[in-house]
Amino acid sequence: MNESVPVFEARNIVKRYANHTALDDVSISVPAQSIFGLLGPNGAGKTSLIRIINQITAPDSGEVFINGEPLKREHIEVIGYLPEERGLYKKMKIGEQAIYLAQLKGMSKPEAKSELKKWFKKFKIEDWWNKKIEDLSKGMAQKIQFIITIIHKPKLLILDEPFSGFDPINTNLIKNEILELRENGATIILSTHNMESVEEICSHIALINKSKKILGGEVKEVKERFSKNQYKIEFKGNMVSFANAVWGGWEMLEKEELNKDHFLVHVKLNDEVELNNYLKGLLGAVEVLSFNKVTLSMNEIFIKMVNENSSQENSTENE
Amino acid sequence: MSKIGLIIKREYISRVSKKSFLLMTILGPILLVGFMVGAFMLGKQDEKELKILLHDDTYIVSKDFKNSKKSTLYHLTVFDTTGSKNLDEAKDFFKSSEDYDLLLYLPETIVETNGGSGNIYYKEAPNTKTRMYLERIVNESIEKLKLKDLNVSRDTYTRLKNKVDLKTIDVVTDNESNVKGRAFVGMAFGISIFMFIFMYGTQVMKGVIEEKSSRIVEVIVSSVKPFELMMGKIVGIMFVGLTQFAVWIILSSILGSLGMSLIGSEMYSASSQADLMGGISAEGISKMTEIQASIIDIIMTVNWPLMIGLFFFYFIGGYLLYGSLMAAIGAAVDNETDSQQFMVPITAPLMFAYVIVLLSLDNPNSPAILWCSQIPFTSPVVMLVRAAMGAEGLWWQIIISMVLLIITFIGTTWLAGKIYRTGILMHGKKITWKELAKWIKYKG
Repeated sequence: MNESVPVFEARNIVKRYANHTALDDVSISVPAQSIFGLLGPNGAGKTSLIRIINQITAPDSGEVFINGEPLKREHIEVIGYLPEERGLYKKMKIGEQAIYLAQLKGMSKPEAKSELKKWFKKFKIEDWWNKKIEDLSKGMAQKIQFIITIIHKPKLLILDEPFSGFDPINTNLIKNEILELRENGATIILSTHNMESVEEICSHIALINKSKKILGGEVKEVKERFSKNQYKIEFKGNMVSFANAVWGGWEMLEKEELNKDHFLVHVKLNDEVELNNYLKGLLGAVEVLSFNKVTLSMNEIFIKMVNENSSQENSTENE
Repeated sequence: MSKIGLIIKREYISRVSKKSFLLMTILGPILLVGFMVGAFMLGKQDEKELKILLHDDTYIVSKDFKNSKKSTLYHLTVFDTTGSKNLDEAKDFFKSSEDYDLLLYLPETIVETNGGSGNIYYKEAPNTKTRMYLERIVNESIEKLKLKDLNVSRDTYTRLKNKVDLKTIDVVTDNESNVKGRAFVGMAFGISIFMFIFMYGTQVMKGVIEEKSSRIVEVIVSSVKPFELMMGKIVGIMFVGLTQFAVWIILSSILGSLGMSLIGSEMYSASSQADLMGGISAEGISKMTEIQASIIDIIMTVNWPLMIGLFFFYFIGGYLLYGSLMAAIGAAVDNETDSQQFMVPITAPLMFAYVIVLLSLDNPNSPAILWCSQIPFTSPVVMLVRAAMGAEGLWWQIIISMVLLIITFIGTTWLAGKIYRTGILMHGKKITWKELAKWIKYKG
């Protein structure tokens, strides 16, 4: 596989429904063998995008590519999809329905059977083969569904909230499986609200809010960008002297009074400000107890971006 | 195997391997034929001896009765030979006595007026046969009396009594036809189609709702097109229906011929028995053979291969039409209770067709039937009745209705596909007709 060609690429996707626009000029590029976090609040348009990739719906305009080729019917077989709302036939035997669903993904029956047996063995659930879904717990059913999603060895795996409904042990099991699939060459799009798992396993993200992409890139780079020139300073002394110590070139994002004349502040320096010069200025004015570079979590970035984006929208709407 | 083939196979296998399907398919004809034979047997056993008390104000029947042949089945006893007792006393006696099953009362008026009426008082209601027997002996006695009064000989009377039978014959084929009987066969076919469309159409809807509410549908439509899934389900269930129908035809004809031979031999022995019963025999027997003859006539004159061929065509056409609409309903709603508001208007034409078919027995050539046999929403049920009465001269009408049906089901399937595609992924929304119209406009 050519490393430089993205496994999935969407260019200027627009999808409109009767009363609203689900996706408005969204472009996304998912590099090969990445774990790509597709983030966004509920109703942002993630599911619409996922359905377009799965060819369940078609965009009104824009282009979609898989491995550099325009999206076509055959691509279904290289995609594995775990929807957020899980479901299987309640009254059909598990083994039978797993084979059936694998066949729908283009596998032959014997191939599907032997592959499934392997996975059932790996997950130690061989004795479930002849059971029915209605006899299993929710977590057990989720495991089956995960196996069914990956059984045909998809090149592109789309997982919508894969960890919901799993206990911590099984969450870990699934997480390791995802990482292993990536090692073996799969590319994964992970749609989730669970920012912890994004931090942990995602290499890239795109944040969609109100049908627009508002943020995207490598996780490391995004975090760096948002945390750039941000510091937390704990000091003893007068707040006025702290504020007047260095004139211009920085802003205070947050302050917290820990005690009388004892503060913790979160500042952001402008690009032209030299960190050492800023510190020198402070040292003459207050007693600096600690000084730390700030790294924002994905959770903080998510909330900040969505809130900012929403308030902007509101203000334009009010005009 | 193609993907749609896989879907059809799953829908088919999962349904025909159900116990309820096997039960319905095999037990259905057995029960039907068994019921008919059983009813015949029971009807026969119902012939028990009856003691009848006669209170006769005319004195004609009671007098004549004494001279006539006795029946082994009905024992008549005259209540009052002196003429001093009235009806109330007779009723009181009948009520208190355990010896008598019926009280036959004949007022004086029945002699003077033509078609006067008497009463049969009962403790346990008598069957039709008993009533007919009593009516006959009373009529015969009165007839005898009147013949005497008018001075007409029995022989003359018999010669006067004419019985003209009009036969209906098709001028083209020169076949004698039993239009009503054949319409009846057509009606049976039409109603079968109605039931099959309803039964299997509902199964399509339920199947779609099941897939939608269990959310498996999203997994499947990421592998196949929604239209393929919908068609796979519709066609799979159609094969289930055809299988059931085929099994029914084969089983029914085997069991039916077994049953017929059983009834036939019973009838033979019954008729020899009837001779002993006195009186009832001659006319009764000729009636039975008349019915038998007309059944044979119907069986011989109905074009069975054509009817079965048309049945398959109209079942498939009608089923695809309604089945696709019901698939769309299933996709639009979240559960079966919500489906009512859409089911009623969509199944209304089907119900209408059913009523039209029931009415067709009396007037098989009414304009309503003509039109309904052409309109695709009713033709699958109605056309069979017309075809059964004679397809000759109908050919072009059948062809037009077939073409219209094909065009319409292609249209409804296309429409249903549009609604289905959007509906199956839509949850928790109350769907209106307006909303459905919007879905049709969405781009795939």
